[in-house]
This record gives sequence, structure tokens and C-alpha cells, in this order.
Amino acid sequence: MTSTTNLALTRREFAPAALRGAATALAVVAFAATSRAQQSDRVKALGQKLFCACGCNQVLIYCNHVGCTVSTKMLQELNDRIARGDSDDLILQSFVQEYGETVLTQPPAKGFNVFMWIIPVVVPIVAIVFGWGMVHRWREHAALTPASAAAPVSPELLARAHRESGESDE
Amino acid sequence: MDIFGSFALLLAFVAALYAFVGGIAGISLKRPLLTKSARNSGLAVCVLVGLAVAALEYFLQTDDFSIAYVAVHSNRALPWYYKFAALWSGQEGSLLWWTFLLSIYVFFALFLNRKKHPELMPYFGVIVAGVQIFFLTLNNFVANPFHVLGAPDTNGVFHMARVADGNGLNPLLQYAEMVIHPPMLYSGYTGFTIPFAFALAALLGRYPGEKWIHITRRWTMIAWTFQTVGILLGAHWAYAVLGWGGYWGWDPVENASLLPWITATAFLHSVMMQEKRGMMKVWNVWLVFSTFMLCILGTMLTRSGLVNSVHAFAESSIGVWFYGFLAIILAVCTVAWFLNRDYLRSDNQLDSLISRESSFLFNNLILLAACFAVLWGTLFPVFSEWFTGSKISVGPPFFNKVNVPIALFLLLLTGVGPLLAWRKTSLDGLRRNFLWPFVTGVAAGIAAFVFGFRQIYPLICLILSVFVALTIFSEYYRAARVIAARDGTDIFTAVRELAMRNTRRYGGYVVHFGMVLIFIGISGSAFNQDVEKQLRTGENLSIGPYTLVAQNFDAPNTSNYDSDRATIEVFRNGKSEMLLYPEHRVYLASQVPETIVAIESSPLRDLYVVYSGLSPDTNLPVIHAYINPLVKWIWFGGVIVVLGTGLAMLPNRRAAIVLRATEVSRREPSFDTGGRARAIQPVARSSDGND
Repeated sequence: MTSTTNLALTRREFAPAALRGAATALAVVAFAATSRAQQSDRVKALGQKLFCACGCNQVLIYCNHVGCTVSTKMLQELNDRIARGDSDDLILQSFVQEYGETVLTQPPAKGFNVFMWIIPVVVPIVAIVFGWGMVHRWREHAALTPASAAAPVSPELLARAHRESGESDE
Repeated sequence: MDIFGSFALLLAFVAALYAFVGGIAGISLKRPLLTKSARNSGLAVCVLVGLAVAALEYFLQTDDFSIAYVAVHSNRALPWYYKFAALWSGQEGSLLWWTFLLSIYVFFALFLNRKKHPELMPYFGVIVAGVQIFFLTLNNFVANPFHVLGAPDTNGVFHMARVADGNGLNPLLQYAEMVIHPPMLYSGYTGFTIPFAFALAALLGRYPGEKWIHITRRWTMIAWTFQTVGILLGAHWAYAVLGWGGYWGWDPVENASLLPWITATAFLHSVMMQEKRGMMKVWNVWLVFSTFMLCILGTMLTRSGLVNSVHAFAESSIGVWFYGFLAIILAVCTVAWFLNRDYLRSDNQLDSLISRESSFLFNNLILLAACFAVLWGTLFPVFSEWFTGSKISVGPPFFNKVNVPIALFLLLLTGVGPLLAWRKTSLDGLRRNFLWPFVTGVAAGIAAFVFGFRQIYPLICLILSVFVALTIFSEYYRAARVIAARDGTDIFTAVRELAMRNTRRYGGYVVHFGMVLIFIGISGSAFNQDVEKQLRTGENLSIGPYTLVAQNFDAPNTSNYDSDRATIEVFRNGKSEMLLYPEHRVYLASQVPETIVAIESSPLRDLYVVYSGLSPDTNLPVIHAYINPLVKWIWFGGVIVVLGTGLAMLPNRRAAIVLRATEVSRREPSFDTGGRARAIQPVARSSDGND
């Protein structure tokens, strides 16, 4: 009887316990899936910051040379380090130590490499300022120049132009 | 036969040398006969180089493996069309092909202008001969394609050798587009020699007026079109063959092809300033010089091994010759400009900031900034190694970060520039041309944002694309409507009439529209997806709206390669849509593997499936699937660009008085029809208006 009661109680308790268990399992699976997805995203993000070291000059995650053992090894290494919980900086640093600075698709902005980032920003700005300056100079010059003050054409040039003028362009 | 080819090349070298020296003597001594004979010698170069090309092609087609070039770059199992393409697959052959294309351009330029521009053409002949001498020096003495296999014995007697079969063509080049991609790109590179030579000739000869600009416009457009097609074919080849899911990897050699294209684009715009207003003369001359020098730099990058590249198949120590040639060109151009700088003085000044002149100026500055950014990123690893001693790499993240904002600004100018008036644009004009396109573009952007389109650059690209496309359409529509009303035709006839009346202007609009489509296509890459999975037969993977089921794995080998192929059935919403056959091959002669991508392309998205080979861990086939949105727009945009350029190259309808009979019974009395008279209404059709 006792055993029956215990069994009944167990049955009564089974549903919530099963639900709790299912929820926990679901949470674990969901966490694992999210974690895998995050890991996969991190592999993609970090893989884009690295070149394959086989010499193909392709970004690591895009290197698809059939049988390229280098990219396979590097991706495995990347996965392992992400799974171990290493930070992005630490992972990149470890790749630099192993393969040299050429493994990075963009060098860190320090030392001489700062110029790599500064110059392409400075040049368009200088170009626009230069263009602006030219436009203003031209306008000022145009305002000062009388309409009739076109440069005179020398007789020699005029003669050459006349000689050529009978011909078509192309 | 190898002696025939070598001899033809040597004769071509001598002919080019005579064209150069004889041309200079003809100019200096003012001897027209000498000049004429130098020109004829320039024409002969084309025939002689053509004979050398024919000889090498004969060796390739007949599998003559006593020729080192044939043994290294071809084999018996290679189909005839790839044997043809093997001509430009190696260093020596590609340089010979380069010389041949250059000689064709030179031949036509000399021949078509043989009775024109008598004071300009001698200078032109000397300059192109100088360029030909450089390349023929390489062909004859540095990278001769007619070397025979063999070695001298102990007595110094040379014994020829012959291998049974060759190494075969680089598998990456065994693709239909690769048969036409290099000739297109080379036609672009070599074509820019002609405007360069005309510009330098005009400067050296102080040729009056803007005539050299008129002469070179079509040559520049032809070269630009070839370069555009070459770049797009290269991008498509990278997309379909390299199998990494993208079409542009900012590889140094890709960048090298982009650089002269950018400066030539700038030139094609700024040249209008010189034609219309006599401005930017120094700028234009230097743009042409820079374009040519960037072509030489690009060739040097491809061949010298100065920078790491996936296109390293033609690497050698030949780079030092190109350094020297570049230095000579730079010196000649600088001296010519310095001595004749007064000849390049502007005729006019700018009247207003809001004018087409200023928009062209800014368009040019931004294009050059883009060119500089690409060049800087490409060469920075070299500078870094010089200054710090340590090697670095510069990859896609740098180029994307720097160039995307610049490209978007250029897209804006593409819409704004052509609709501004010369000299000055009124506020009314601005409102009339831009208000509705601007409002619609912003509305499209807001709608896209509401529907979850949140990435900033694609959003800006969408707004600008709508804006630019609408400015182009409204401009076409407004002008066509006037013609339709006046001529009593329908709007489509009027559009055709309008385009033919000013081909350059309306062809330019078509090119701009093509560029808009390309920009939209590129912006689609922000939404790429990819999934990689190991699949057994019957297993599947899901990506976007598709489910891919592995139906079979087989090995359709040929005498040229061994192949592993997957048969993938594609389902969409549970319904079977198609079968795709991605494969990877190993070419027998070279033992080099290659990916053959299966692509299902639609205007909205490409389903791109790669058979990545067997997993080293499980030995199971690995399938990598991508969804690449809007890629087709890039190729379609490219076609539109080429069509637009073709239109812009057509001559305008000549100035004519078209006598159109109109019934105007109320104005004129009738002579013969009792109340209905026919009046003659003149309609001027201008050939001018190259804006």
C-alpha cells in the first residue's frame, strides 16, 4: 500500500519533474546551440581578420584550396581557441606569434602602420580642400578678368589651326 | 619554325627601332619622306609581331614540345581553345601577346591618321615606337617565347631535346571566360598607350587647340571599354572558378587593373572641361600620363613578385625592366610638361561653385582619392618592409573601409554632376532636377529601414541608387517628351531620337545607370549567407529558403583531369526545383586541383554551391553553400555600361536641316489642294552638344 501511495505520489510528481527536466534540457540545448552559433559567428569574424598562411593570399575563411592543410589546421586552431574562451585579441596575437604579422588582413594601427590608415583619410580631405580652393581662386580670377581679355592667338598658331581645320576629328 | 618566330620578332624590333630613330630624324631634319618611311616601319611592326604570334600558336596547336614555352604551358590532352589561350598563360607568351595587341592599336592609329594631322603624327609615331621598343626588347632578349629545350654537351655543341608531353595549362585558366578575359584586359592596358602617345605628342609638338583631345576620345573609350569588360570578366571568373563565394578580393593584381581604369574614368569626365571651356589642360595631360604609367605599374605588379598575389603564375625577375621603363616615362613626361607648361594654360575660369565644371572637378578629385587609396593599400606592405624591415599584409578589410565611403560619394556625384548646367546652375534648376529624385530616394530609404534594412552603407547605397536612377530617367523623359510633342512620335521613338542626337551625353547616362546597377549588386554582399556541412548521400543542409539534398557522388574523369562530383537536388518550400553539380577536379598533367562551382542565378539571389572535397577527419564530402543576393545585377550592370559606352562612341547625327512637311492650312494659302497648304518647317539637328 505504502509502495502504491509512494508510486502514486511519484506519478503525481513526475509531470512537473519531467517538465523541469525538459526545460533544463531545452535550456542546455538552447545554450549549446547559441554558444555554437556565437562560436561560428566568432570564427567567421576572426577568420576574416586572418589570411591563410599557405601563400594563396586568400582570407582564411575563404581559402578553399582542395586539400589545403594549412587553412584546415588554422581553422581548427581558431575553433579550439574560441572553445577555450580566449579573447579575440589573444587569439589574433597567438596567430601573429605563430605565423608572423603577415597573417593579419589588416595590420594593427601602431608604429609606422598608423600611416596606412591616416593617409587615405587625409588625402580625400586634402583633395576636397584643394578643390574648394581651386574653385574659389577660379571664381575670383573670373570676376577680375574682363570678358574680352581672352589670350590673343599668335599668327603662327592661327595658321596651323587653319591648316588643320579642314580635317575631320577621327 | 622556331627560327621563323624568333626572326620575325627580331625584325619587328629592328623595324620599331627604325620607326623611332627615323621618326626623330624626320622631325629634326624636317624631311617628310623620312617621316613617312618611319611610319611605314611602324606599320610593319604589327605584321612581323603577328607572324611571331602565329608561329607560337602553331607550336601550341601542333604539340611541339621542343619549344620550352609549349612544354611548360600546354599538353596533348588540352582542347584546342585552351591551347590557343595558352599563348598568354605564361610570362613569355603573355608579353608577346601584349606586344601584338599594342602593335594592332599602333597600326590602326597610324593607318587611319596617315593623311591627317601632319604635324602631330610624326611625334605620335616616335612615342609609340619607343613603347614598342621596350616590349620588343623584353620579347627578344629577356623573355623570348621561342627558346628550345636542350643543353650543350661537353664540346659546347647544343643538342635539342623534346619531352613526350607538356605540363599543361594552369587549371585556373581552363575556363571559358579565361579565353577572353586576358585579351580584354590586355586590350585595355595596351589601348591606353594611344591616348598617352597623342597627349605627349601634342605637348612635345605644341599642337594647337584641343584637337588631340578630340582625336583621343574614342581611343580612350575603346581602351576603357576593354578594361571594364576585362575587369568584370575577371570578377566573374573569380566568382565562378575560385569558389570562395566572392568576386573581388582586393588582390594586388585585381587592384592593378582597377587603377588605370579609375584614372581613365576621371579623364573621360575632365576631358569635357577642356573641350567645352578650355580648362584643366595640365590635369588632363597628367591624367593620361598617369593612366599609362599605372598600366605599366600594373603589369609590373603582375610579373615582378613585388607584392604577394593569388595571380602569381607569371612571377619573375623581369620587374627591374619595368622599374626602368617607368622611370624613363616619368622623366620624359615631367620634362615635356615642364618645358611646355605655358602651352597648357587655361582659357577660362570657373563662374560658380554650383556648376558642371565644379562637379567634374570634385568627381576627378574623388576618383583620384580612390585611386590613391587603392594604390596606397596595395603598395603599403612594400613601404612597410622598407621602413620597418617587417613584412605585413593589407587585405579586404582595409580596402572596404577606405573605399566604400569614397565610392558612395562618387555615386552621389554620378547623379548630381550631369544635370548641373555649365557655368552656373540656378536654384530653380536644382529644384527642378533634384527635388523629386531626392525625396523618392529618401522615402525608399525610410521604407527599407522600416522593413528591417538596417546596415548603414547598403541603406545609403539604396537611397543614392534610387536618386541617381531617377535623375537619369527624369532627364531622359523630360527631353524625350519635348521631342515626342514636337515630332508627333511616341515616347520610345523620341528616346531613340534623343540618344542618337547626342550620343555622348545620353550614352553617358546609360553608363551611369549601369554603374547604379553595379552598385546595387555590390551592396547585396552585405546580406550574404553561407553554410558548410559534411553530407552523406540522402542527407541535406538548409540555407535561406533552400534545402539541399545530396543525391549522388560520382567521378566523371576525363583524359585531362580526375573529378569528384556531387549531385545536389535543390528544394524550395518542399518542392524540387533543380539539380546542381558542383565538382572538384585534379588536373593530371600538373596535379593541381580546381573547384567547379554550381551556381543557380536569379535577379534576387545566387545559390552558390561548392564541393569542398573530402573532410580530412571523417572522409565525408563537404558541401559549402552560399546565398549571394543581387550578384546578377553586377553582371547585368556591366552589360549596360558596355552598351552605353558603345552608344557614346557613335557619331552624333550630323547637322542638317530637316524639311518636315506640316499641315498648317490656316497660315498659308493653298496652291493646289483647295484650302490645305503644306509649309516647310526647318528643324535644326545639331552634331554639337558633346556634353
